[in-house]
Amino acid sequence: MVKSERLQAEPVEAAPGMAWLIGLAAWFIPGSGHLLLKRWGRAALMGGAVWLSFFVGLAMGGHMFDLTPDTATTSGSIFDWATMIQVPPMIANLGSGIAYVVCWMMDIGFRDDPVQAARTTYEYGNTFLLIAGLMNYLTMLDAFDVAAGRKS
Amino acid sequence: MNHFLVMMLFAAVAAIVFGAISKDTNRERWVYGVKVFAEFIVIGLVLGWILYFIP
Repeated sequence: MVKSERLQAEPVEAAPGMAWLIGLAAWFIPGSGHLLLKRWGRAALMGGAVWLSFFVGLAMGGHMFDLTPDTATTSGSIFDWATMIQVPPMIANLGSGIAYVVCWMMDIGFRDDPVQAARTTYEYGNTFLLIAGLMNYLTMLDAFDVAAGRKS
Repeated sequence: MNHFLVMMLFAAVAAIVFGAISKDTNRERWVYGVKVFAEFIVIGLVLGWILYFIP
């Protein structure tokens, strides 16, 4: 390639403040970002998929993760290895937004219960709860891109 | 609910989101979503059979 033909990097326009707010709303209430953008179909499909996954996960006895140290098996420090290893799944769970926050406040799906863990569907439930959060991150990014005009 | 139905449900919700966020036209999104769904099912079945023979 001749020097004069080198491609120039296109300047990236800063996203408007409204896009950040819509992204925040999309994370907090799954589907709400697309609702605010009046993308009814996407809101129903993507928000519906996230909510469905979350409630199916809970119904299957899934377990969500937080940073509460298990004092029975660890030193009780938040920096204990057994606690730190819960950070990645917690980040995934946190993607569910208000659903995660409400369950955390009401202690639903957070308790380490051996009876619940013995259920056949326990691991399925965990997986559904994890993907609900991860899918909502994708939904949030999509809503942000649409609001910022980077995507139709 | 048996294992296969749960796998189908997982594949369906993932395919919906993957399909919705990708591509440019609605037709392309539908095709991609169906493709992702089929891939989840086929790969899940193949892995299931492989694991079946591993003690």
